[in-house]
Amino acid sequence: MDELLQEFISETQETLEALAGEVVAWEADPSDRDRLDAIFRFFHTVKGSCGFLNLPRFERLSHAAEDVLADIRAGKRGADAATVSAVLGLMDRIGELTEAVARGAALPNENDDYLIAALNAPTEQAAAQVPSAPVAVARQTGQAGPRTIRLPLSLIDQLMNGVSDMVLARNELSRKLRERSADPELDNVFERLSTCVADMRDVISKTRMQRVERLFAAIPRMVRDLGRDLGKRIDLTLEGGDVEMDREMVEMVVDPLTHIVRNSIDHGIETPERRRAVGKSEAGALRVEARQSGNQIVITISDDGAGIDTARLVEKAIGAGRLTPEAAARMTEAERLDLIFQAGLSTATQVTSISGRGVGMDVVRANVERIGGVIALDNHPGQGLCITLRVPLTLTIIPGLVVRAGGLHFAIPRAAVVEILHDNNAMLQISCIGGAQIATIRGVRHSMIELEDVLGMERPAQAAPRAIMVVRSGSGVPYAMGVAAVDNHEELVIRPASPLIMASGVYAGMTLPDNGKPMLLLDAAGIASAAQLPTILDDQAARQTEEQADAQAGVEMVAALRFEEVTGEKRLLKLALIDRVEDIDASLFGRSGNCAFVRLDGRLVPVVNGLWQFDRDKVSALRLRDGTQEACYPVATVLDIVQMPLVPDMVAMHGMLSGIAVIEGEHLEVINPFALFASLSGKEGFESQGGRCLLADSEDGWTREILAPLLRQAGHDVVLGLPEDGTIDPHDVLLCHDGDGSKLAGIMAEMTGCRVVQLRASPRAAGPRDASIYRYDQDALMAAIAAGQG
Amino acid sequence: MNQLYLFATLAGTRIAVEASEVEAVVKLTEISPVPGMGPHVAGLAALRSRVLTIIDTAALIKGAASPSREGGLAIIANIAGHSYGLMVDGVSDICRVPQGELPLRGQLDRAWAPYARAIVEQDGNAWLLVSLGSFIDVGGQAQAA
Repeated sequence: MDELLQEFISETQETLEALAGEVVAWEADPSDRDRLDAIFRFFHTVKGSCGFLNLPRFERLSHAAEDVLADIRAGKRGADAATVSAVLGLMDRIGELTEAVARGAALPNENDDYLIAALNAPTEQAAAQVPSAPVAVARQTGQAGPRTIRLPLSLIDQLMNGVSDMVLARNELSRKLRERSADPELDNVFERLSTCVADMRDVISKTRMQRVERLFAAIPRMVRDLGRDLGKRIDLTLEGGDVEMDREMVEMVVDPLTHIVRNSIDHGIETPERRRAVGKSEAGALRVEARQSGNQIVITISDDGAGIDTARLVEKAIGAGRLTPEAAARMTEAERLDLIFQAGLSTATQVTSISGRGVGMDVVRANVERIGGVIALDNHPGQGLCITLRVPLTLTIIPGLVVRAGGLHFAIPRAAVVEILHDNNAMLQISCIGGAQIATIRGVRHSMIELEDVLGMERPAQAAPRAIMVVRSGSGVPYAMGVAAVDNHEELVIRPASPLIMASGVYAGMTLPDNGKPMLLLDAAGIASAAQLPTILDDQAARQTEEQADAQAGVEMVAALRFEEVTGEKRLLKLALIDRVEDIDASLFGRSGNCAFVRLDGRLVPVVNGLWQFDRDKVSALRLRDGTQEACYPVATVLDIVQMPLVPDMVAMHGMLSGIAVIEGEHLEVINPFALFASLSGKEGFESQGGRCLLADSEDGWTREILAPLLRQAGHDVVLGLPEDGTIDPHDVLLCHDGDGSKLAGIMAEMTGCRVVQLRASPRAAGPRDASIYRYDQDALMAAIAAGQG
Repeated sequence: MNQLYLFATLAGTRIAVEASEVEAVVKLTEISPVPGMGPHVAGLAALRSRVLTIIDTAALIKGAASPSREGGLAIIANIAGHSYGLMVDGVSDICRVPQGELPLRGQLDRAWAPYARAIVEQDGNAWLLVSLGSFIDVGGQAQAA
């Protein structure tokens, strides 16, 4: 009997969840027979099962609903808003009752008669209600799901643990095998075993997945109810319900998502009158969309409402004493928008029953960040707001950095780290005042702590520079944390640590990497409070710093091109530098001395990565331009355009690379454009251009055919002959041969103040006072021109 | 009463633990220390894919960390959903004791008071019956203090 009851409860709860959306959709389109049938079936099933299980209240409720629905099916009644509300009310009550039965608690002793009366007397009720505000739901109705069975979660967890054990045993076996002599046969068998284990792990982790649809199930109902309460009309679109994510993750996202949707309806979308006045359609559009991107689930919630009034936000922040007007004036629009995440700030003019009860976006952000997610806003005042949540696929696997401190390894969530610098970086200044360490990075002061000090460890001397991480906790103040080194970037399987360890407040969990040595996950906020950083920041001056720091610490993203090098590495290059991408004939590439070049549009363009021989006919090449110089960068393939942080996740200046950025879980090396062009000018003699080179003897064959091309190639602007309008800039350099021309040039030079470089045909100087330069002495010639242009 | 007990020595004292509390006894190989904790938390150790919190029980009783932590024995127990390893000096036996637990007699050392519940007699010796959960409770209080 108990089992039957259990089955009934879980089935009813699940159907209820799924149906909430259906009822709303049915209201929008009462002629939709399929939906009506589905709802009817639900009540019918409940009625059937509960008569059998002896649950009289259920029976009565479902019977009443069934009657009404049967009338509607038979066409005796219309499905008006009041009826739908009454049906929803009954469904809610059944839900409550089910929960009570599941808990074994006494059934809530409320009057079911009222609900049933509401169902049977809809016409009188309707008058008292807000004019109907139907919610149109465009929803992709999925096909009937595949055959399923019900399993207790604990069984799946047990399976997961078993597979984890297997993976560890495999790793150990692999170590042992490596120690022994190589036996190809054994290796093959082992390889097969490894593949099986890996496949199994993947499959098992899929059992924990759940369709996002469950996350969406409650939204249509909520939108409908809110819309009615507020007298707003909303067109709701749900998309991507078939995306799957970890069961636990779904549960963690429900609250933030609900809050955002509420906010959007309450504060974002305007009333129909207001919308008409500003020329929008009366019904506001609300769109909730989920999709998978790499190992993340991206959920976007967009509306076409009023957006966020940043001016009001700033006003409120100033009013609340959190911001000085001076600081406010310095803020960029993005920084102002970021204020919405400050605790207790809301643009709502008054507290309503729907949202704005003090639980605001700060809590939403904290919740999202706690599960390793990121929240981003795209605000168009007057046009709408788009909120993007990016959360990892599973709760237990988060991207993390492995850091070393005091001889131990620790993990820290990647999301908590804003940037990493070495302590010998010129952008960083560390000062020590009265025992407090302050790290100044690009003019922003952060309180700085050494991880070893906070954890009470020895700090052994080290030769390599220490790494300074700018760390931001969920809603706290960013601060700088010094560690011995940042070693690695890994996907970490996080599990809770024992309460004993959690009680220390500085750890958020633990993880067991493949090497079998347990590692602790640091809690960024906990460390800040253990180091008593917040107390320092309570005063007004510090708050201002905090705001500035807050604003600047946000990771700025820039568009970057992801491509594959000819050598196979995947790298990133800032998109702005790339003029275009084109396929070039491999035969056009060539090399001279140490410099590779390519013939393009009749010019020779340097090839920055020095490649000139290829194994194919056509080569994809990036055409780069830094404003004045042009360069070519042959690659194997161009992959796509991505957003990368302006400052790479791991700053490691080395040759052509400026660091490593993590894009969609993949580490990519970022090309340093500065080094790229710097290497160019060194090789090719491109100098900053000061003025023109005037070649006085324009008729002379040597000047025309040899000197002019040489100067052009060196990047100079060459003018043959003296400018006819006589405009000579003092920065110009006048080149002439000794002889007749030189006298004229001398006069010109005196008149305009420009420099004259005299060339002679003889290798030897005519006398000690002869300042002319031998015309084939390229170095001296270039130096003279450069000096003149200075 | 025909309870199964695990008999061990801890901080030089003979102790008995109800076998139902014990999951396994393992030899500790590698312990990763947890900085920022009191001496009673020896660190973390991996047991297959599980991570154990290793409690230096002797440190709880004597107040000073045991000198050699690795290579010792630990009683593995699942307490409130988490896996712990409680370090002991040695394990002697697991057997049934027909007469069960006997009430405590005499003046118990203050250090042992929070842990000892009763006496179990075996081979003519008295063994102090302790509950493993109490070590975790006291350890938690020590951390909070």
